[in-house]
Amino acid sequence: MRVIVGGIGYPDLCDYSIGIEVQERLSEREAPPNVVVEDLSYNPIAIIQRLGDEPPDDRFGRIVVVSAVKRGDRSPGTAECYRWNGVMPVDEEVQRAVTDAVTGIIAMDNTLVIARYFGALPDEVVVVEVEPETHEFGASFSPGVSSAFEKICDLVWSGATDDKFVAGLPSRSLALTAVPVMRFG
Amino acid sequence: MCFKNLPVEFDSAGKPFLRDGVGDPYATATATAPEGPRQLTSDKIEELLKRNGHIKALDFDPVTRVAGALAFHTVADFEQRKILEARSVATLFRGYEVIMVGRDPRDAIFITSRACGVCGGVHSTCSALAIEMAIGCCPPPQGILVRNLALALEFLYDHPLHLHLLAGPDYSQLIVEPTNPSLYARAKKTEARFTAIHGYRTIADLMVDLNPLTGKLYVEALHMTRVAREAYVMICGKYPHPQTIVPGGMSSTINLTVMNEMFLRLSQFFDYSKKLALIWDDLTEFFYEANPEYKKVGARRANMIDTGIFDHPDAYDATYESADDWGNRRWATPGAIVEGKLVTTDLKKINMGLEEFVEHSYYEDWTGEGQKPHFPTDPSGNPLSPYHPWNKVTRPRPQGQNWKEKYTWDTTPRWDRQGMEAGCYARLWNTAVAKTMPESPFMESTGHSLKMRVPSGALPETELEWHVPDVWNAFERNRGRAYCMAFTTLIAFEQWRSIMERLKDGDTTTSTKFHIPKRGTQQGVGFWGAGRGYLTHHLTLDRGAVANYQIVTPSTWNASPTDRWGQPGPYEEAVLNTPLLEETTDPTKFRGLDVLRAIRSFDPCMPCTTHIQSEGGLITREVNTCACGLDE
Repeated sequence: MRVIVGGIGYPDLCDYSIGIEVQERLSEREAPPNVVVEDLSYNPIAIIQRLGDEPPDDRFGRIVVVSAVKRGDRSPGTAECYRWNGVMPVDEEVQRAVTDAVTGIIAMDNTLVIARYFGALPDEVVVVEVEPETHEFGASFSPGVSSAFEKICDLVWSGATDDKFVAGLPSRSLALTAVPVMRFG
Repeated sequence: MCFKNLPVEFDSAGKPFLRDGVGDPYATATATAPEGPRQLTSDKIEELLKRNGHIKALDFDPVTRVAGALAFHTVADFEQRKILEARSVATLFRGYEVIMVGRDPRDAIFITSRACGVCGGVHSTCSALAIEMAIGCCPPPQGILVRNLALALEFLYDHPLHLHLLAGPDYSQLIVEPTNPSLYARAKKTEARFTAIHGYRTIADLMVDLNPLTGKLYVEALHMTRVAREAYVMICGKYPHPQTIVPGGMSSTINLTVMNEMFLRLSQFFDYSKKLALIWDDLTEFFYEANPEYKKVGARRANMIDTGIFDHPDAYDATYESADDWGNRRWATPGAIVEGKLVTTDLKKINMGLEEFVEHSYYEDWTGEGQKPHFPTDPSGNPLSPYHPWNKVTRPRPQGQNWKEKYTWDTTPRWDRQGMEAGCYARLWNTAVAKTMPESPFMESTGHSLKMRVPSGALPETELEWHVPDVWNAFERNRGRAYCMAFTTLIAFEQWRSIMERLKDGDTTTSTKFHIPKRGTQQGVGFWGAGRGYLTHHLTLDRGAVANYQIVTPSTWNASPTDRWGQPGPYEEAVLNTPLLEETTDPTKFRGLDVLRAIRSFDPCMPCTTHIQSEGGLITREVNTCACGLDE
């Protein structure tokens, strides 16, 4: 089975660049011939088109995505790995995701939801969420995240290469707000 | 007479001067607000809300299917079926004006690109234009042509996205059938006029394919964004933030292989643009015939502004002094339209009339008592307002929302103190009326229309003609945008042909060397355009670094709040004129569809994808801000 590993995030956004950093580190590892590691930090519509370009008889069977996801109840650097149960939001939310996608938002939840809706997502979806802390300009990571990188990389690698590991993962829903919001006034 | 509010007159040689005997020429009393809808006072609104059950607040927060963070507050009279109050709220601070200060000007090309996740390249290029003017550097002809082509490709991404992903669903079966069942019943019986081109037998068939997510037109638009994007990255490296735009041209490598690959993509827009224009012709005429009240949806005065785009390689010299000359030789003509009349096509006059106010915005005024502006005149010696971007200082001041005082992060740009609207249709209108566009075998400006001969694809060669409309409203905005697809396709094709001609002669030079001066003060302005219309970057350099940087985008104009003279901003004015035409009589079932049609027809682009530092952290994604009266 062919597997694609993708990091998703914004560059130079401290802990919110985790996906990109992990992808870059994993690109240096020698991958088995069935595993492709890519930066998937771009317009989700372009990502589904990219996935759709694979030969119909040899598409990816699994995607492993890694990204910062703020849940707030975990210590920074905590990584959780699960299989997405494929539960989709209502159509209005899918529309919102498409609007966000075509107007420039890069987010793991949008990418997966849109790709699933348009039938471009591999059957097996492994998500590695990492709890971020710092959310500001910069190329550095918080101590909690920095110290967890090797573990996160190994986790993603297991998701890509170890079928037994994947089979034992829990099945969960996506967190549909990957980035915190704030307001003035 | 170009200006009717600003006290600027012209001598016999056409040189502008400030009228004699005016003590403070830019005092706020120097304007007479035109007739038009006005906001009611907050006290009056409160009283109406208390006394009448049929008058209710109707808030859209966020306004969906727009780019970025926009909230809209209205108070609606469900008995009279009209809007009494309309407030446009930009809920995020953009901040590029602050970020740019002190930096190397070359950084602006890459940093300001991030102002938008759709049209980053237009900001990059606008920035390059401003730098070129400031440092005295002009690209070679091939560089100008490639830059034009890149811009056109961005629009070929942008227009289908708006027409069929963002605005289109408002006219789809899934939206129209439940809100206006009798209208949809009529659509099922109404035959389309242009079936031979777009393939839809009835208007209802067309509406079904406008359905979000599943409609063929929705899915096709997603595909066409890919075609445009692929073409764009051939010359710009990346989308939406290009890597090949530099002062003095483009750093792209241009050869026959690239251009042939380009043509394979560009030619796919020949048929698509014919189809889009005639789909929106059919839709517009159907709504008008079904109920003439639709002509009032999103209606406002035809006041528009555009700086023109697509430079002619024999005309553009990057100087402010010659801006009138090279501006008028652009493929899309610059212009200010007031009450439907084109009053100038001179870029310097467009620049002179520009002011930005902040009465209702979360910023502090920068013009103190007796304080002299940095630049009382432009580089040609023409008078400038203290409120002009070259004199502006951005001083953000976050605070509570109050309709009487401050309620938005957008500023209030005005031209000759009038509320102007920006849009791709403004360039269509200017070009159609001005008759100054370069000669073309594909396009003709008639003075009242623009004829476009779109080459054959699978469909035969087709002549389209966009006419200056009698009314100005949401439908005409969308129709204009649809015709802009053909206009842009043909301009891209013209640039492609010119590039190929030059390649045959061995011309592959797309950029020229430049030098950033390390001494003195220099000024520049980029007059450019986004998919949504008007774009300017005003730049001041001091000893080689950015001393001031001011960006005015199309949505800065369109989403602007009510001004100090009581004129509502364009979204606000359009919504105040909009009748509520949904068939329900139950306010709880009301969806505000016509209000949303009015707003979306402007193609709002609130730059929400930017990363802004504040004391509270960073903002990367949309914000919901209750707009329903957070008075403090």
